[in-house]
Amino acid sequence: MPELENPFQETLLSRHRAEPCSVVIFGATGDLTHRKLIPAIYNIAAAGDLPPQFKVVGFARRDKTDEGFRTELETGNRQNSRQGHNDELWKSFSQCIHYHRSEFEDLEGYKALGRLLDQFDAERGAPANRLFYLAAAPEAFRPILEMIRAAGLNQGTNGKWARVVCEKPFGKDLATAQGLNAVVAATFAEKDTYRIDHYLGKETAQNIMVLRFANSIFEPNWNSRYIDHVQITCAENLGMEGGRGGYYDTAGALRDMVQNHLLQLVSLVAMEPPTDLSADSVRDEKVKVIRALRPLVGPEAVGKNVVRAQYTAGSVDGVARVGYRQEDRVNPESTTEPYVALRLMIDTWRWQGVPFYIRVGKQLPKKATEISVHFKKPPQVPFATSSMLKNSENTLVIRIQPDEGIALRILCKQPGQAMSMQQVKMDFRYSSSFGKASPEAYERLLLDAMAGDATLFARRDEVENAWRFVDEIEKAWHKSDTPPPMHEYPAGSWGPKEADDLLRADGREWRLL
Amino acid sequence: MLSSNLNDSDLDRLGLETPIARIDRALKQLWEGDEAKTRASLINLAIYTEDGCQLMTDNELLDHVAAQHACRALLILALPEAQPPRARAWIQALCRPYQGKQVVCSEQISFVLEGGDAAQVQNIVFAHLDSDLPLVVWWQGDLSKNFEERLYSRIDTLIIDSSRWSDPAHQFDALLAAMNAETGGFDVRDLAWTRSHFMRTALATCFQDATSCQNLARLQSIRITHLTGQRTTALLLAAWINQRLKAALSVELIEKDTGPALQGLVLEGPGVRGEVRRECDSCFVRVSSTCGENTREELLPADVDSDAELVSELLSRFHGSTLYSSMLPFVRSMLK
Repeated sequence: MPELENPFQETLLSRHRAEPCSVVIFGATGDLTHRKLIPAIYNIAAAGDLPPQFKVVGFARRDKTDEGFRTELETGNRQNSRQGHNDELWKSFSQCIHYHRSEFEDLEGYKALGRLLDQFDAERGAPANRLFYLAAAPEAFRPILEMIRAAGLNQGTNGKWARVVCEKPFGKDLATAQGLNAVVAATFAEKDTYRIDHYLGKETAQNIMVLRFANSIFEPNWNSRYIDHVQITCAENLGMEGGRGGYYDTAGALRDMVQNHLLQLVSLVAMEPPTDLSADSVRDEKVKVIRALRPLVGPEAVGKNVVRAQYTAGSVDGVARVGYRQEDRVNPESTTEPYVALRLMIDTWRWQGVPFYIRVGKQLPKKATEISVHFKKPPQVPFATSSMLKNSENTLVIRIQPDEGIALRILCKQPGQAMSMQQVKMDFRYSSSFGKASPEAYERLLLDAMAGDATLFARRDEVENAWRFVDEIEKAWHKSDTPPPMHEYPAGSWGPKEADDLLRADGREWRLL
Repeated sequence: MLSSNLNDSDLDRLGLETPIARIDRALKQLWEGDEAKTRASLINLAIYTEDGCQLMTDNELLDHVAAQHACRALLILALPEAQPPRARAWIQALCRPYQGKQVVCSEQISFVLEGGDAAQVQNIVFAHLDSDLPLVVWWQGDLSKNFEERLYSRIDTLIIDSSRWSDPAHQFDALLAAMNAETGGFDVRDLAWTRSHFMRTALATCFQDATSCQNLARLQSIRITHLTGQRTTALLLAAWINQRLKAALSVELIEKDTGPALQGLVLEGPGVRGEVRRECDSCFVRVSSTCGENTREELLPADVDSDAELVSELLSRFHGSTLYSSMLPFVRSMLK
């Protein structure tokens, strides 16, 4: 039966509408569900954007009732909801939340889940779409997907869809990512697979495309003729608090941050204009950038272009911090890097000769994620000496977090008789210009998944090509006879001296954040 | 004392009185010496009224809107009949805290124009805009003779409230004429239309599933309960429903003396019923739909009520919409 169009659904909305569906969260008793997913869905409900007759089913191993589960989630929502917590709304909203207990490997549990979803459909009087959210530990992804398939839940019925959202990390190297992709592909079509990268849900990350392609002053200059280099910094002023050392020590900064978030940002900055805004057009262009990254093969190339480091004891914001190897749940002999800096080259016409410098690290002086585009200096400035022009290039800064915004550094004449120049900054801040808070990344991404818009999700080839690039670096670090050294930096500093040298060798320096 | 019954203590609340010729200099001085303040502006927002009693309410309203939308705010009270002719101006900064230490401020310039004409209003507006930013004019009350081509040809967005018009049929004609004029390329945002946003969203939810959709053709009547004075708001909603259904359902309007502007909406036909109900003090609406024996209920957010909140909401959804314009002929025919 063809789907009838609801004539009251105004067609001039600037975003897709979420379609009626049931969302099943695997790993529903975990931190992500309490802190992010349920508050995100609640805020979608508070904005009136939740589709009608919506259902959430929490799927986990522990024994709980629907009521007990709702009570736990209510506590989490009170603490984490962006727009606060309203008792009246929660009372109504929470009725759509259910709990289903099962082992991840138990097929009968999935068949029972299927019966529960069928029961919801019967109550609705019509079949609904199904969204499976994998928020469990990564090692559980494979059995969950296999059981979903075995229970026949991966097939949409009566013209309805079944989709899967996969949380990061999506594999720990190319081989595991390919293995996982094979399992996903055996269960869901690629168009129904949504690999989440919450950085892409952030307002400023989405704004990169608007900034580049909707403003005619930038795009003509967005190439090697005018851009000297690009820097991307993702700094955290925390270490391994809250027991996160256990996971982190098996991953490191390169796998945990660069492979996904930072390479996604690189691709947004470096991509060619897409032919349209469809998910595949955008992702086609992004993956071309990842594929064009010049491979860093062998310890010599890695040693020249990548700096890894661990922090030693120091202080952040006046508070003493222990060194990385002394952190809770971190191996005292660890060779994992909580800091990495890279020089990337993108072998395309547009970016020939323009280095992209990336750094990401823990226990740095402050929390900040920023992209800065450094333009070339003018060929000649008649009224300035070369010393006056030091560090004076025009710089466009895109602040991803916190204090999302855009700043442009330009040179101006200082008032007075002399022809002196000074750097000034034009600063746009989302929070001061738009009083309304941006939705949380998870709100945007969940709505997109329900609406079938995969633009802000990573595609299989993006993930695998990113792993392919990162694997060569990991191989040089951990599998070569002459691995590049692990450097050190005191907690609370901006990283190791060797990371500064990486830029200094090119006559550049890291931007002061 | 002004002819509009405003006294000097009221006018003090508009800020620092400044000779009109010195406004730019006075604004500059406002920012000098206080580095903790950041001036921000995304739009020029002008409120125009010819009702002296509205001035102080509008002053508070701008404060609220500017907290959400950084702007150059112009508050204009025109009293064309007042004599002798006189023009006065006040400036102030509308500030809100930002990250606990700094404050982000919008500039407000208020004008009281006694005995002026359309040209004076235009000159005042055009001389005090923040350059290159869009001009949003909130024209309160009837579109008077001061609403003329040289002004509206420069407006990007016109905000009106058709529920407050004294003669809606005549005013809609004036609006349509301006919109259809060669230079009338402005967007229109009608608060009476914005007020029904939550009802429209809720109604869409009522008929979201396939079974309900199939039964839409059986609907026969629309019943809308509204607050006294919000008849146009209710008519706009009814016109929209008929337009979307490509039908001519019978319309019944029920007036209430208290409560929110729109309080209830029922669409009915044999075996099918959709209802959206808003309780007096609730910020939610209850939605129920019945198809045959199948009934379901949901709770959805209701929109804000006050004019200030409505305008803030409306500025947040600042993308063009042709839906309202396409509906005007329907409304106009219902007003006959």
